[in-house]
Amino acid sequence: MIGSLWNVIWNSVFSGSFWYPLAFVCLSLGVLIPAVLVALSRNMVHAALWLLPCLVSVAGLYLMLGAELLAGIQILVYCGGIVVLILFAVMLTHGLGDPDVRVHNQQLLWGVVAAMAVAGVVLRLLSQEIWQSGPPVAVSEVTGRLADALLGPYVLAFEVVSVILLAALIGSIVIARGDAAPEPGADDSDAEAGE
Amino acid sequence: MNEPMVIPIQAYLIVSTLLFAIGLMAVLTRRNAIAVLMGIELMLNAANINFVVFWRYGGGQGMEGLVFAITVIALAAAEAAIALAIILNVYRRFKTVNVDQINLMRG
Repeated sequence: MIGSLWNVIWNSVFSGSFWYPLAFVCLSLGVLIPAVLVALSRNMVHAALWLLPCLVSVAGLYLMLGAELLAGIQILVYCGGIVVLILFAVMLTHGLGDPDVRVHNQQLLWGVVAAMAVAGVVLRLLSQEIWQSGPPVAVSEVTGRLADALLGPYVLAFEVVSVILLAALIGSIVIARGDAAPEPGADDSDAEAGE
Repeated sequence: MNEPMVIPIQAYLIVSTLLFAIGLMAVLTRRNAIAVLMGIELMLNAANINFVVFWRYGGGQGMEGLVFAITVIALAAAEAAIALAIILNVYRRFKTVNVDQINLMRG
């Protein structure tokens, strides 16, 4: 119901050959410019916050491609979970912006050269004739078909991922807790790690 | 979704390539381990965009692209949790999170 209403609004207002490329250009710039700022920002909190518009724009690209469920998951998991986790980690360590501390290592030049080389090679490959694709196929009932696929032929991958998530949850708690509190009477040579 | 889509597939692929290169640059050049992790997240997002693009512009019958993308997102969440826990532990041990100062195998 809401989906069909949305389709009507979308088709009547935003269809046509003008708005769609405009939205694509805006979302692409919204992905790439914050990504550059993530890579270059001196303040770690700013870098973590610049991750947000980048990930939201990626969710917008998913919406343009017709993967609504994936856009929702992207916003929930990345923007709501991972960015907050990264912000916590930044604040628990002393990664806050200090203008005197170098934020890039000695291989800044070679790192940029390597990244540009990778981009150049891939972009050169993308200009080949083989990538001249036709128009995208029309899709419908994406979420329902995705659910059928996840709990049908790919249920093993689904279950394995859930087990991995559980293992990662327990493992991250165990690792982040650090050394257990020293037993009374024991040698407290590692007491500096206590909470 | 029957709106006219006039975006060529290469436009999406160019965006994801540039995003991957930016993430690679962050991984290779940042000193802070958390910033390296952010670069990894950018690279994972670039790969995810490719999965969805090839799902949409490909055959259109199967849902493998979206299944892969969802799996990648779940594994990225697990990886971020584990990596940040390790970074916290390293910070507790070495009092730094700069990857070029963490050069001892034993704490």
